Amino acid sequence: MSSPQRPVAPHSYGSQRPPAAVPIGPVGAIGVDEMQLTDEEVARRMSWLEITADDIANLTSIRDVARGYAAEVIEDLYRHFLAFDETRAFFRDEQTLRRVKAMQTEYFLRLTEGNYDREYVRDRLKIGAIHQRIGLDVKWYLGAYNFYLRAVGSRLMRAFQDDPERGRACYFSLKKLVFFDIGLAIEIYLTTIRRQEEAIRELSTPVLQLRAGLLILPIIGVIDPTRARQLTEQLLRSIRANRAKVVVMDITGVPSVDSRVANHLVQTVEAARLMGATVIITGLSAEVAQALVLVGIDLNRIRTVGDLQGGIEEAERSLGYRVSRVEA
Amino acid sequence: MSEISTEPLVMPIANEADIVAARQRGRTMAIELGFAGCDGTLIATAISEVARNILLYAQRGEIILCCVELGGRRGLSIEARDSGPGIPDLRKALTDGYSTSRGLGLGLPGSRRLMDEFAIESEVGRGTNVTMTKWVR
Ligand SMILES: Nc1ncnc2c1ncn2[C@@H]1O[C@H](COP(=O)(O)OP(=O)(O)O)[C@@H](O)[C@H]1O
Ligand SMILES: [Mg+2]
Repeated sequence: MSSPQRPVAPHSYGSQRPPAAVPIGPVGAIGVDEMQLTDEEVARRMSWLEITADDIANLTSIRDVARGYAAEVIEDLYRHFLAFDETRAFFRDEQTLRRVKAMQTEYFLRLTEGNYDREYVRDRLKIGAIHQRIGLDVKWYLGAYNFYLRAVGSRLMRAFQDDPERGRACYFSLKKLVFFDIGLAIEIYLTTIRRQEEAIRELSTPVLQLRAGLLILPIIGVIDPTRARQLTEQLLRSIRANRAKVVVMDITGVPSVDSRVANHLVQTVEAARLMGATVIITGLSAEVAQALVLVGIDLNRIRTVGDLQGGIEEAERSLGYRVSRVEA
Repeated sequence: MSEISTEPLVMPIANEADIVAARQRGRTMAIELGFAGCDGTLIATAISEVARNILLYAQRGEIILCCVELGGRRGLSIEARDSGPGIPDLRKALTDGYSTSRGLGLGLPGSRRLMDEFAIESEVGRGTNVTMTKWVR
């Protein structure tokens, strides 16, 4: 399906940038390139849907029939869109409507053009991403496919009145391709949502300055390589900006500490050390520490203190605050 | 041979959240079975390690958790299986510090230390299967 909000010249999706007219969320840009579907993956999906050379031949054989009914189906579809507030909201004026119909027609005709290759997949993902971005819920998106199949189905049957067997075969081929496209659409929706969650997670790891030279970094959630990199970069930036000497990194909220997570932590600690700051890790339970030692992690390389309170006290001591307290 | 006393629980592994889920589920099952909390954590850590290997090297696979009983003793058995690339040299893979991904190379040998029983089968191009058990003390 095509974007209701932006004119796209035919065959130009590949180089298209996120359009300015479309509201772009503050975080989590589309991940079409990150999805990187290989030729093998495309082939694998096709075979899961049992799309064979026969199906492709069926599809291309109805090219002319499709050209015949395309305009009518589009009109029906948009009447349906306009009958529901939730979908009507996307068509603010006549011009938008015309533009989107043109793109929709192009997509419908593309379905019977053959060459369902990586480029085809890319186009589907791009278009899916745009729909996700403008805020069209997946239920409307998928519902439109249902409408389309129904509208096309009856017309195909009529066109193949004299050979219903053939009509049915072509319809099934079309249905397979539509399911292929639906799969891609759902996937790009999910991927985009996941990206947004990651970005939100990044934003939600604050580095707090408790007092001069002392930073607190509470980590909540999963630490994967991406997150570890973000955390380290953020920490190093804060150390530089605040001329921090000690950092208390609290991992109470990290749900699965294993060797890889420990490795990330050790690397973050070492990077901070290179910048002249000491890191104290808190919130590592004795049980987890024991498990890590059994796994073979050298915890001597990192300073750990049971809880956040204890960590802050130790940090203050190493910054010389104890001296001032004793003198007071 | 251990006798299966409950339905095995199959948990798909395809992302980080799945690892957390498998780990937490394993820990809960361990506690229900009568394991001490610290042993529950050892089991959870071993699950993390093998689940992470699935995600890292095979992209997807599954963790199967199963309560087992043998000669009156109860235990938790964990199977991690995938149809990924497989491991060409198991002896190397089980050596501390051996990693093909610039990791610490402690996941497999570490899990072996965390659990009571540990077995691994792998075939290049076919996949990997790690089975491990811990017994209630
Ligand atoms: N499920 C798996 N599929 C393929 N290779 C694996 C799998 N699990 C482990 N390996 C291989 O064994 C090596 C050692 O694994 P591990 O001890 O967990 O260390 P690490 O993951 O830190 O490299 C890995 O680097 C990888 O080459
Ligand atoms: Mg590992």
